[in-house]
Amino acid sequence: MKKRVSINPITRLEGHGKIEIFLNDDGSVANAYLQVPELRGFEQFCVGRPAEEMPVITNRICGVCPEAHHMASTKALDRLFGVDPPGAAKKLRELFYSAFYVTDHTTHFYALGGPDFIVGPDAPPAERNILGVVRKVGLDIGKEVIDCRARNHHIIRMLGGREIHPAAGVPGGWSKSLSESERIQIEAAARKNIEFALFSLQIFDKLVWNNGAFRELVTGGTFLHRTYYMGTVDGENRLNFYDGRIRVVDPDGREFLQYDAADYSSHIAERVEPWSYLKFPFLRKPGWKGFVDGAGSGVYCATPLARLNVSDRLATPLAQEHFEKFCEAFGTKAAGGRRAPVHHRMATHWARLIELLYAAERMLELATDPEITSPDVRTIPREVTGVGIGAVEAPRGTLIHHYVTDAKGILQKVNLIVGTTNNHAAISMSIRKAAEELIRRGQMVEETVLNRIEMAFRLYDPCLSCATHALPGTMPLIVNFCDPAGDVVRSFRRDG
Amino acid sequence: MGTVVIGIGNPVLTDDGIGLHVVRWIAERLPDMPGIQIRELYSGGIRLMEAMAGFDRAVIVDAILTEGGRPGTVYSPAANDLFQTRNAHSTHDGSLATALELGRLAGLRLPGEIRIWAIEARDVTNFSERLTSDVERAIPVVVDDVMRFLSSGADIGART
Repeated sequence: MKKRVSINPITRLEGHGKIEIFLNDDGSVANAYLQVPELRGFEQFCVGRPAEEMPVITNRICGVCPEAHHMASTKALDRLFGVDPPGAAKKLRELFYSAFYVTDHTTHFYALGGPDFIVGPDAPPAERNILGVVRKVGLDIGKEVIDCRARNHHIIRMLGGREIHPAAGVPGGWSKSLSESERIQIEAAARKNIEFALFSLQIFDKLVWNNGAFRELVTGGTFLHRTYYMGTVDGENRLNFYDGRIRVVDPDGREFLQYDAADYSSHIAERVEPWSYLKFPFLRKPGWKGFVDGAGSGVYCATPLARLNVSDRLATPLAQEHFEKFCEAFGTKAAGGRRAPVHHRMATHWARLIELLYAAERMLELATDPEITSPDVRTIPREVTGVGIGAVEAPRGTLIHHYVTDAKGILQKVNLIVGTTNNHAAISMSIRKAAEELIRRGQMVEETVLNRIEMAFRLYDPCLSCATHALPGTMPLIVNFCDPAGDVVRSFRRDG
Repeated sequence: MGTVVIGIGNPVLTDDGIGLHVVRWIAERLPDMPGIQIRELYSGGIRLMEAMAGFDRAVIVDAILTEGGRPGTVYSPAANDLFQTRNAHSTHDGSLATALELGRLAGLRLPGEIRIWAIEARDVTNFSERLTSDVERAIPVVVDDVMRFLSSGADIGART
């Protein structure tokens, strides 16, 4: 007979997800899962529409990362209509996408992931938010975060046509070129972004890495999984968010696969579990061996940490410096000609800040590229190939859009693998690890322990987009302890 | 600097988008109204706070799910009662209350009065651009309510 601990709903997480921890009679963890409600009918919603509507439909899937869907969809249309955008259009897309990365990673660090460290995992939940960070770091940081968001939202609107649901991506290019006066604004913003990213890395260094207890949380064994890693790299195996080939490295860091996004289904299969609608993608070659790590298991991870793990180096100078410091800090040794991956999942927070710096530097490179103001931003499509597959690195993992159409470009089939889905198995494994470690110590009833279980998935910043995520009144955290018959014997609640 | 009327929700997730439908109706009834701006938003938290910055008053229209609630029921709480509607809270950055406090700390000028209208949703798990019928019927009720509130403000003056 198994006991069951329910935590419902999850605070500060997109979607009305629920963590289920199944206990054995002896109190050890039998299993732990992140469960999410089902959203239905997206494919039916799309089928029958002209494919060119997809960049503005798919960006409505989620209010958090519409830019990522817009970009993956636009790239899928390039392939569907067999057209290669001019150089300036590709650069404008990447510039736009870099500004988005700056806002997204900034917001995650200061509002969601960072508070656990900067304010502390043992602080009361009411203080573990961005206001707690402001109190700890100083009043100016609140203003810096707001300013950073504002200047990059302005750029996203300028480049994308609209602030929230961008519309500039079209098959074969970008619907608008960049003027010199706009370029100057973006260059200035990029310089500020670089300063801000460096400052954020300093905060991490000072308040997390140089704090013994927090460093232990990052480097300890609780949040460690030796899985495969996935990310997109350029021709020199350097991180790229917008374009490149998908690279997978094994748990020792050796290149396991490198492929064009169009070939994803040759390498990735999707498993369905009866208790969750969310698919579990896994690598075909090792195969699905359950929720386990190691080279024999097809479970992989696609996150900021994963992207650093698949990259030989980073393409911008300051980000490369910090990447080297990061690798040295974890003492990763070369294996098979490559550095071994960092398997400590809490290091994802640090990796995210290195990516923030990379995005800011990449913005500056693109904003000062002589081609960026070229009026040549569109190649007109002249055919329909019938299949379009586009991929980008969304902040939360590799995002793939796959469309099949008839000869007129009317959608017949739609498949999406979203960033969070890649990590679904890994998230469940991290929750289990955290639960095993903490429940073993007999600390089941303490809020801090529950929060550390939440920390296990928060580092992935899962986005169960559009899922129901609100309840009447407050966002409470409810913990029910059930006896072997399933009856609640004790219940705790805190307001969100 | 006037009033902002914000509809919030997902436009392709059936009743989740009710707030967007309501503000589109209001926009049609308020052509070129000085001092009133209509905005559509798709996520809450900091983004919602940012959309209110610089205004004297803010109206938020959103879907809500309550236990045992009847679809189409309209809730209009007292001023500044920031109850938890479906989209006012961003699970990627935090609650609206936290976001407003952050905005104040950062020196943004935020509305002295915030009103939230919430409409009980029926279906928020199927992709569709159409509302369910009970929820759709609530639109004129909310529109009238919000219009009455807007009319009470100095910025709308004698216009009806």
